[in-house]
Amino acid sequence: MMVDFIDGSENITVHGVFNWILLLSIFSIITVIGNFIGYDHPIGDSLVGMGILSVITLVGVWMERRIPFNISSIIYISAIGIILAFPGMPTSEIVSYYVSKVELLSVVTVFLAYVGIGMGKSWNEFKTLGPRAIIVTMLVIASTYLGSAFVAHVILVMTGVPA
Amino acid sequence: MGWILIPDGKPDGHVEHIYREKTDKRILKKNPWRDYRLHITVLILVVIAELIGTISIPITKDVAITIMPLIYTIILGLVFYLAKPIKWIQRKQARIAEGAMMLFIGVLIAKLAVSSGQSIGLIFDMGPALILQELGHLATILVLPIALLLGFKKEAVGMTNSIGREPNVAVVVDKYGFNSPESRGVFAIFIIGTVIGTIFISFLVTFSLSVLPLHPYAFAMASGVGSASMNAAAIGPTLAAFPGMETQIEAFAGFSNLLSFCVGIYIVIFVALPLTEKMYNWLEPKIGRESIMPKKEDD
Repeated sequence: MMVDFIDGSENITVHGVFNWILLLSIFSIITVIGNFIGYDHPIGDSLVGMGILSVITLVGVWMERRIPFNISSIIYISAIGIILAFPGMPTSEIVSYYVSKVELLSVVTVFLAYVGIGMGKSWNEFKTLGPRAIIVTMLVIASTYLGSAFVAHVILVMTGVPA
Repeated sequence: MGWILIPDGKPDGHVEHIYREKTDKRILKKNPWRDYRLHITVLILVVIAELIGTISIPITKDVAITIMPLIYTIILGLVFYLAKPIKWIQRKQARIAEGAMMLFIGVLIAKLAVSSGQSIGLIFDMGPALILQELGHLATILVLPIALLLGFKKEAVGMTNSIGREPNVAVVVDKYGFNSPESRGVFAIFIIGTVIGTIFISFLVTFSLSVLPLHPYAFAMASGVGSASMNAAAIGPTLAAFPGMETQIEAFAGFSNLLSFCVGIYIVIFVALPLTEKMYNWLEPKIGRESIMPKKEDD
């Protein structure tokens, strides 16, 4: 199990960054096509939107590897995204406009296609695990989700947030 | 799913930077973009999925199951990997897909972050609910008695302390060691969650939306379970259920997932794991069964 806990290099080369850019471009193109078919968003605008999201990702991933603190790229990416769209920032309007042309679900649909192919790798291990472990997993996921939904609901109602 | 700082990651198991390493190894060394058939296959899956569109199957008058394109792509992706005649999607492509996925999570996070930025005022207003709902994840410990009744022993501690995604795996391995029963438990949850988690949570959310009269924001916040793909799958039906609230739902879902990454891990370390152990020590002598785990450890 967990065969993929491998140690790799953390070198950033021009070559590596080039690979990231190409991958993000491929991802953007597929997403924009799905975004057009599923939601009729104009291709040009959503391509700009995906470009903005890709650049944020690229900078975040790059910062994770370059800045010597042990901070996840998720934190960097979130921080950059929030700052760029922050009301009052000069970038806010332009970023919000173009990014809104990329439907979240279009990104998710493409992302999950890769997830589906990637998880095929775990299939054999999955088959050995047995129904009892599957029951426990489903209950664990359900309780995490419902637990926080109920707590959030109670606090929202207590603090009088209108639905 | 994602990159997270693990406090004092010990050298055993190399859990500290597994995702970054995984991504770098796959992306930086293997030129994954050259595997054009993988990406063309994904494009075809996406086009098929978007053309089919969302299907709603009514079960009763008020309850309907919604199946969204994201479910088709994930299932088709798995089918393409498993189907023997499709020779161009093999283990190698799966590894590349997995590496690429780690990069694409960033795009997803960036999209959610932009929504969060636009709604930053709202996020501060909802601060208490957003933070406290993280404690709702402790509900997984309620599954411990059931795991014991099913015949799990110490594995149950690893299984029920959290949702068992990468950061949680790292914490459990760090605390109990790679070959401990607790780690076997969390590995099992991780693998099963990887395969069925996304699909399961999508149906769970669809079902919950139709039967539970909760606040829309509560559903949005709950979808941040600490796994990018499950987060994504959970947001889908929520967005569809509350049209016109897209930005708010994305903002809360994204921010809550972010909290699950940064705060959630400490809740697991300092609250959930000790609590699960206490529960185990108390309950195991009472309801523990004969162990069903003559588990083989491969690799």
